[in-house]
Amino acid sequence: MTVTLGHYLALASVLFTTGAVGFLVRRNALVALMSIELMLNAVNLTLVAANRWQPSMVPAGAEPATPEALAAAAGYASQSAIAHHGQVFAFFVIAVAAAEAAVGLAIVLAFYRLRKTIRTDAADTLKG
Amino acid sequence: MPSSKVELVAFGLLSLLAVGSAVATISYRSAIRCAVGLFFHILSLAGLYMTLSAHFLAAVQLIVYVGAVVVLFVFVIMLLGPAADAPDDGAGRTPRWLGSGAAVCVGALSAMVVLSYRPERVLRPPSYGTLREVGGYLFGPAVLPFELASVLLTAAVVGAFAVARGHHDKVRLATGLGPDANNPLPSDQAPAAEDGEGPSGGRS
Repeated sequence: MTVTLGHYLALASVLFTTGAVGFLVRRNALVALMSIELMLNAVNLTLVAANRWQPSMVPAGAEPATPEALAAAAGYASQSAIAHHGQVFAFFVIAVAAAEAAVGLAIVLAFYRLRKTIRTDAADTLKG
Repeated sequence: MPSSKVELVAFGLLSLLAVGSAVATISYRSAIRCAVGLFFHILSLAGLYMTLSAHFLAAVQLIVYVGAVVVLFVFVIMLLGPAADAPDDGAGRTPRWLGSGAAVCVGALSAMVVLSYRPERVLRPPSYGTLREVGGYLFGPAVLPFELASVLLTAAVVGAFAVARGHHDKVRLATGLGPDANNPLPSDQAPAAEDGEGPSGGRS
């Protein structure tokens, strides 16, 4: 038995579900932010795993192309025909997650200063 | 390249650690324990990236998540003190098992679907996942989103500073909430008390 893409995707779906349950169930704003991080990490895992199983620019069954043609299709002059779309996209997801954590924690601090609690159901000022 | 048995054992251990620490992250009552759970979750995910031969991404995961995000969480938990452990009691409008049950059903369904997906084994080229290749892609075709990410991070820093700095007098006056709601000052007289954090906190 070898580890395949399906195992990684199943693990990622379990992790995403854990994050989603945490986001839906917990009333602590900090834990809700941590659950968002769990979900983003699960998506990153799917991206990296899919990239690992599709490391070339062409589908697995297609006719083989020359490395130069593959590099031209990738849009940059590289000797190899390897694509790293998934890994590079995971970098950007990490960057967005870092920005989201900074802004989210700032919002939690401002909310605490306003209401003296970080329970998410205390954020009902706009409630009609 | 590790053999398939080593890969299987590593995947099993790391996925067990990942799932266990994710469950710990969402289930502990104390927020600092949740942060420790998130820490171990990120460590296990970095290990999983290594089994996928994404070594540079594993390093970035450790640096950015453990070095920045988890530390930021711990800072905020320390800053909030006892208020960080907000209790979870009280009933909402929707029963809690409904949302979590729906999420678990969706997750189980997607896990069943993707477990049946067995692609043929793709041989990695030896240069797959190396820093040279990933960096070549990052600074080649992906250079525009790379630079835009720096703009995003700058905007996030400015926004986080603006939000957390806390000039909430207008909000307090409008909503009647907050500590100074009983004695609201006009916003042009308040900033000395807002900025200084005390009588001796003068401006340098």
